[in-house]
Formats: sequence, C-alpha cells, structure tokens
Amino acid sequence: MKFNRRSLLRGSCQGALAVMGLPFLDCFLNNKGQAQTNGRPLPTRFNTFFWGCGLTASLWIPKKAGTDWDMTVQLKPLEPFRKKMNVFSGLRVPLDSKPNGQHWSGLAAANTGIAPFRGGEFESRTIDQQVAEVIGKGVRFRSVAASSSGDPRQSYSSLGGTNLLPSEPTPLSLYTRLFGPGFQDPTKGDWKPDPRILLQKSVLSAVAEDRKRVMQNLGASDRGRMDQYFTSVRQTEQQMEAELQRPNIEAKVSIPEPPSGDLVANNASPNLRVITPLMARLGAMALATDQTRVFNLSVSSPQNAMFVPGDPLGFHQSTHEEPVDPKLGYQPRVHEYNVASMELFAAFLKELDAIQEGDGTLLDHSLVMAFTDQAYARIHSVDGLPILVAGGAGGRMKTGYHIAGDNSPVSRVGLTLQKALGVSVDTWGKESLQVRSPYTELLA
Amino acid sequence: MPKRVHGALSLTLAICGGAGVVAAPPAENSYVASLRRLTEQEYRNSIADVFGKEIEVRGSFEPTKRTGGLAAASTGLLSVTPVGFESFSKMANDIAGQVIAEKYRAKLPCAPRNPKAPDDVCAREILSHYGMLLFRRPLTATELDNRVGLSRRMTERTNDFYAGMQYGLSMLLQLPDFIFRTEVAIPSADGESGTLDSYSRATRLSFLMWNTTPDAELLKAAGNGELNTSAGLARQVDRLMASPRLEVGMSAFFDDMLQLDTFDTVSKDSLLYPKWGSAMATSAREETLRTVIGLTLHDNGDIRDLMTTRQTYFDRRLAMLYRVAFPFKGDWVKYEFPADSGRSGILTQISMLSMFSHPGRSSPTKRGVALQEIFLCSPTPEPPNDVDFSEVNNTDGPVKTLRERLMAHTTNKVCAACHQHTDPIGLSLEAFDTIGGYHTTENGAPIDVSATIQGRTFSGAQGLGQYMHDNPRYPACVARRLYSYSRGLKYSTVDDFEDAYKAFQDSGFRLRALLKSMAVSNSFYDVGPPGKPPLNDSTEIAKQ
Repeated sequence: MKFNRRSLLRGSCQGALAVMGLPFLDCFLNNKGQAQTNGRPLPTRFNTFFWGCGLTASLWIPKKAGTDWDMTVQLKPLEPFRKKMNVFSGLRVPLDSKPNGQHWSGLAAANTGIAPFRGGEFESRTIDQQVAEVIGKGVRFRSVAASSSGDPRQSYSSLGGTNLLPSEPTPLSLYTRLFGPGFQDPTKGDWKPDPRILLQKSVLSAVAEDRKRVMQNLGASDRGRMDQYFTSVRQTEQQMEAELQRPNIEAKVSIPEPPSGDLVANNASPNLRVITPLMARLGAMALATDQTRVFNLSVSSPQNAMFVPGDPLGFHQSTHEEPVDPKLGYQPRVHEYNVASMELFAAFLKELDAIQEGDGTLLDHSLVMAFTDQAYARIHSVDGLPILVAGGAGGRMKTGYHIAGDNSPVSRVGLTLQKALGVSVDTWGKESLQVRSPYTELLA
Repeated sequence: MPKRVHGALSLTLAICGGAGVVAAPPAENSYVASLRRLTEQEYRNSIADVFGKEIEVRGSFEPTKRTGGLAAASTGLLSVTPVGFESFSKMANDIAGQVIAEKYRAKLPCAPRNPKAPDDVCAREILSHYGMLLFRRPLTATELDNRVGLSRRMTERTNDFYAGMQYGLSMLLQLPDFIFRTEVAIPSADGESGTLDSYSRATRLSFLMWNTTPDAELLKAAGNGELNTSAGLARQVDRLMASPRLEVGMSAFFDDMLQLDTFDTVSKDSLLYPKWGSAMATSAREETLRTVIGLTLHDNGDIRDLMTTRQTYFDRRLAMLYRVAFPFKGDWVKYEFPADSGRSGILTQISMLSMFSHPGRSSPTKRGVALQEIFLCSPTPEPPNDVDFSEVNNTDGPVKTLRERLMAHTTNKVCAACHQHTDPIGLSLEAFDTIGGYHTTENGAPIDVSATIQGRTFSGAQGLGQYMHDNPRYPACVARRLYSYSRGLKYSTVDDFEDAYKAFQDSGFRLRALLKSMAVSNSFYDVGPPGKPPLNDSTEIAKQ
C-alpha cells in the first residue's frame, strides 16, 4: 500500500474517511514507511558555530592567500580540516550611521548582513533561518540550537527583533528534544509513526482556526506578535507532518542511549571541553538521521565568559585587562583562550566529519559558518572580523582557500554561503553591507 | 454606598443549562490593551491551581529578557517562537493527558454516560469549567461550541470520551488566551484612555498578589460586578493580601527586581573557590527571598531596613560559607550577625556579592553597576569602545589592590564620569570576595573600604547600607519597580501612582501599604487608548 503526505492530510486511508477512528490508524501503522525510500540525493546541511571575543590578528591570519596558505598558531587546531575549509581575513564591517554596539554589531553584521541599531536585537532573520526556510522544509525541526555553556539565551539564531530561538542548554535537554518523545528511529527496521501525532495535529489545526478571533482588536505590535505565534503553530504542525514520514537516510549511525543524568554545563573550560563534543555529536546524529538540516552550536556569549580554573579573570575580562606583552606583541592569556576556542570548533568539525554517508562525510555535505563578535576584543573593533567556513556543501563549495584581505564587507561570505546552498538570492545585506557578488572562485 | 467605578460590564453573563458560566461576546468597543506571555512560574502556578498540584509540568520554557531592570517588562514584548510553541504544545498534550488519566479523572466536574462515546453535555461542563480558569474569563458560546465540537470529533476517532477531552483541554492550553495574559479594556467616553474590564482587573490583581491565575472567588467577583465597585475591590484586595499566598506573589516580584535569575548563569572557579557548588546558588537565592519576605510581610518592617538589617536566614551550606555554626538539626534557621561582622542587609548577602562578580575575583564595577540599577533605578552607560584597562590589571607591579587599580580610572576623564557613579559602591564592598566571604587584606595589603558618593563619605558595607537606607531614591525605586512589574512596563515614575506612593511614605515605607493603596486605586486599572498602551514605549527609556 502506498502512502503519501497528501493522503494523510486528507485523512483518508484506502479511500475511507479518517473519522472512522482506530481502524484508520491501524492501516497506517501497518505501513512500515517503505514509501519513503526513493533514492533522493543527500540533503545539504547548514550549521553555525559561535564563539565570543574573536582571535588575535597577528596570530591567526595566514600570510599567504590561496590554497597554499601557511598554517598559523591560532588556526593550528583546525589543521586536520584545512583541506575542507576556507579562511576569510580582512573583512570589513561598515556600520554606516549605526553605533558600534559592543560585542554585538560584528556578529549581527556577519549573521544578517545588516548593522544593528540595538544590542541584543537583529534587524532581520539570521542567516541560518533564511537558509532553513529553503533547505529545512519537510524535516522534523526547521533548526536546532544548542549552547554548550548552559545558557538557553545564548543563541544567535533569530526570526528578527528580540525573539531569539532559544538554545538547548544541556546535553540532556538537547537529547530529549532530538531523540526523546516524538522521535522514531529511522535507523531501525521497525520504524512506525506514532498514531497520536495525527490527533495532536488535528488539535493544532483547530488552534490555527482561531487566528481570526485572536487577531481582533489588537494594536499593531501585538498583531505582529500574534502573527509570530500562529506562524509558530504552523511550524509545529509541519513538524508533526514530518514525524509521520520515515526520513530517507544513508548514514550508518546508531542513536545513543539517553544520558542517565545531566552534566554541569557552564563557562569553566574543562566542562566546555566535555560538553561541546557531546552536543556536537548529538547535533551530528540529528543531521545524519535527517531530523534537522540546520544545527547551531554556540560555546559562549559574545562577552566570552570561558575561564580556566585558577584564572580569576576569564576570557572576556582578560581581553580588556591583560596588558599587551611588549616582547611578544600580543596578550598571552588571551591567545590561550583564542586557541581554546578554535579547539572547540575543531571538536565540532570532528564530529561532523566522523559520520560517513554516501560518497563522503556529513561534513562534506554541510557548510559550517564559524563566526564571532569582535576582530580585536581589547578595543571592541570589528573590522577584520574572522570567519571560517568548513564543509563542501555536497560539492558546491570549493575548499582549502585563504581568502585574504580584499576589504570586502563581511556580508559577502553570507551571500556566498547562500549561493552554495542553493538559496535564490541576488543581493544580501543592507546599506554598505549590501553585496551582490559572491566569491565566485569558491562556487563549484 | 459603594461607588460605581464604571458603568458597563464588558461581558454579560448568562447561565447555560447548569453547564457553567458562558459569556456573551466581548463588548463591541473593547480592545486588547496588552498581551503578556506567561512566565515559567506563572504557567506552573496556573496549572497547579487549575488542575491540582499532582499534575506535573514537564518541559522547557523560552527565556525572558530583562528590560528596564525587569524580566516582567519583556513579557509584553516577546512572542512565542517555533521552539517555544513546540514545547508548549508538548506540555499541553502531556498535562491534558494527566488530567484525564484514570488516576485523576474523578476530579473532573462530571462523568460521561458512556466512556466510549461522545457526551456533549458533560464535555461542555468540563470545558467551560476549565476554560474559565485557564482563560481567566468565561468562554463565549461560539468558543465553547467549537471546543465541544473538537472533543466530540476526537472521541469519535478514538472511541474514547476521555481521549476526546484530553485533546479538547489540550487545545485550550495551546491557545494564546491561556499562554498570554490578555488585558481587555473599555475606552473612556472621550476615547482618550481606557480602563480594564472586570476579568482583566481580576487577572492583574491575581498575578500581582499571588503570581497565579485568579481563583474561583475572584472570578466570581469579576463576573458579578463586585470588582467594579470600590468596596468590592477593597474586599478582594484585602482577601488576597491576607492570604499566605501573598508571599508567593511578592517573592516573584523580588526575584525579578533583585535579578536573582542571574544565578542561572553564574559559575565560580572551583580551584580558587572549592567551597562553591551549584547548590549554593539555590540556597543564596532563597536566603535573600526569606530575608525580604520576612522583613516586609511577616514583620511589616520598613523596606529601607533591608539595607541595614543584620538578620538573615541560613541553611547548612550558607552557614559554612558565612563561617557560622549551624545547629545539629534543621533546614533553615534565623540568624543575627554580630554588629562587628561587617554585614549590612541584603547588600552583603552571598547572592548580591556573588552574582555580580567574576568567577575568581570580586568586581567593584560589576557590583556598583548592579546595585545602582537594582536599588536606585540608575543604569550605567556602556564604557567607550576603545578603553584600555590593561594598565590597571598588573598585580605584579606596584599597584596591589583592586582599589588602587580602579583608581587609575579617575585619571582618565572619559572613564571618571561613570566610574565615580559605580566604583564607590563597589569599593565599599571590597572586603567581600567573589563568593561573599569576608577578608581584610588583598595580596598582602589591607583593604581600604572607604568611599565617597555625591559628597557623602562612608566606610565599608555598613556605611554603604546606611547611605542606601537614607537615600530617598531607594524606596522610590522599589515602588517604581513594583508598579512597572504589575503592569509589565519598562519604565514608570512615582508620579504615575502619586497617592499610593504617598501612602507608602506615610506608612514608613511598609510594602503592604504601598501594595494595598496601589491595588485599590481606580487609576491602577487605567490604560492608554486603543492602539497606544501607556508608557510602554521605548523612548521612555531615555528619560531614565
């Protein structure tokens, strides 16, 4: 028997109406999802990695551009992936008449192509959401965000304005969201949808029908908020539709058992070194089993509070208070934190690269944008913001390059990524950050 | 004779076949004055009060965002993201599933004639009963018909009356009418302002006083017009204030005002401060709330004494941090610090000292910024972008103490303006380390805890406590925050509740006097005209 989403939406089963109750559900259960395996190409994924307070320019920027770039001391942790990534240096962040909001303007510019008016707010949807709208449809989660230092507010994924899409703050909460109730393991032979989902979906349709009533007598800003509310209702409905279908996967993975208890997630660097790979692995599993195609991982807030036990200052405070060593020419403790941040990024890439699927790894079928808020945290400067992009986007992105100091606006990276991901976009960004030419040399 | 507050009841009530209260559609000219997303605690308290404490709430809540010093102010600005709704949806199904489970279904207001078939009469009774409690107003006939219809369809699909009810109740829990506190207003005759309808009055009162949904009696007082008379309103305010649940409401306010949720993201350096564990934060938060509630509600004390009192409450963990002996038995004990302890009110409790510090070091600036904002409603601007702090940080150089390092700021004019605002407060607390421990030397040099603010010189935490106690901006700040909190505003001034503030002053700064005077005044329920809610405009921030 063939089943597709349309027939489910109509609520019919072998021509019978859905109102007949349990027998309808039974006939659904007997179908073990074979209708799904139709040999589609592997999906491309988009991920972001955020760390706060940037790097040290004299220590991370390679001298040579092109594919033959020299490895630097701060990029060294990424050595295993140098052929699978691109390094962008010398990017400008023109803010026009907007203020340079400390620890915010740079990341917002890289993330939206628009210089923000206010700290903590984005002027548009962030790039992951713009991409998710195109590549993330039809899967369970439009996007998933996680914070490895334990703060749900620590998310750089937004639908615009003040509403951030909250991060899962612990490995257990991330596991539960991805693989807890509602998850059917597509790696198992006995995959079947949960019959309760159909009922729950009917409730959501009924909620959505109340939209008109709710919208009455509202002021303009509350209308916007209720609009968002009902968009969220719709997206949850779509999530349930996706849960009724068996994802088409090629990766050989097995979903780990749930963690027995939760681990302490905070800013202490030993904890970050345990939690970050764990969350990266869960995210990678979710991507490999096509639960989501967009995974955002952050390891800190912009004012990066990472600290090594015994250091009373921590990363952010060190960037402002540690003197530049006159002999070395840089802040030595800050350098250590910069390297630690790249080690955490490498841990994320390692998990993505460890999963084989089809003709390559999950990383090969992804793009990962690593970005930050400051070019030189000590004085809050944003010009020269480092951006690293890993993954081959399923062959559509050439890798191994250092794109050096051509003074492009930072938004040019975002435009290039969207082109590689098949997002139909001609220009991206606003005012001086508006760009129309991607790095064509990187697009395959 | 009770004075009529305003003539028209917004909702005309009709009793419908014993199936509970049903409302007519809202008055034609009414409008929504504000929509405030329930906080996690408001949601949890509402579920416990509507369905019973045995019903578990399992799931995560979208975070709020502090605006103008209060998380409450953001509830009127934030919406629900897809991630947030996904969680609300799961929780709704889970909660409704527990409510109809065999274990608890005897509590439902009726039982169906046949548990395997639809029973519209019983469904209607269940949905109108819970609908009114969840929406804080009766459902309209159309709404009720619609929910009963959904339940019937779900029963037909599952051949289970209770499954049908589960999804009917689940729908109520997923509608914005539950997830948001909707304040409905009637415009005044001249259209220049409006006043909340009686159910919205009940809601504002209940969340302020008890941090939960209005109880049956309050809803009844809204329904029969009692809340629209001065005497009836005063009667309900007195009832709410006489209940021990007032502590729950005021704890929620102080938790927000004192920014105690900062603890959610505080980590301490376990090498430098091995005594600190994550459980400390929970205890420290409770210590502060117990102190505040004890002084303001139990003892009906002067709120200014919160800055100077030496009375506090300990558990075993805190006693260890404070280096005070703890009795052999017991969870929490009342304790009075000796006069020479250096402690002064909640300023020197572990909560305030540790939340606004670095992981391994105290921070006079962070403490100064936080205390200025929390207690004096005086926020500090961001430092300039290119400021160089490094010269002040070298502890190996000639500059030993943090005070000496900070004093370097005053040699720089750009820094001085703000640091003179924040640092004296912080420096007077320098005897307390990042987890609130007391010490008298730093890097071998004695700590100087003297400070001068606005021409007034004092020494140490007790000097700071007295300075704050005597500063008229402190009680005014508490009152403004309470008013803003109750209405979800980013900003308010004491002029917005002049009479209540006067009552507060006249009482010798008793919280109960402020709260009562605010809640019984008609103007407390006034709102802006349609399309323009009062004072919730971001330009108002600039005045602060």
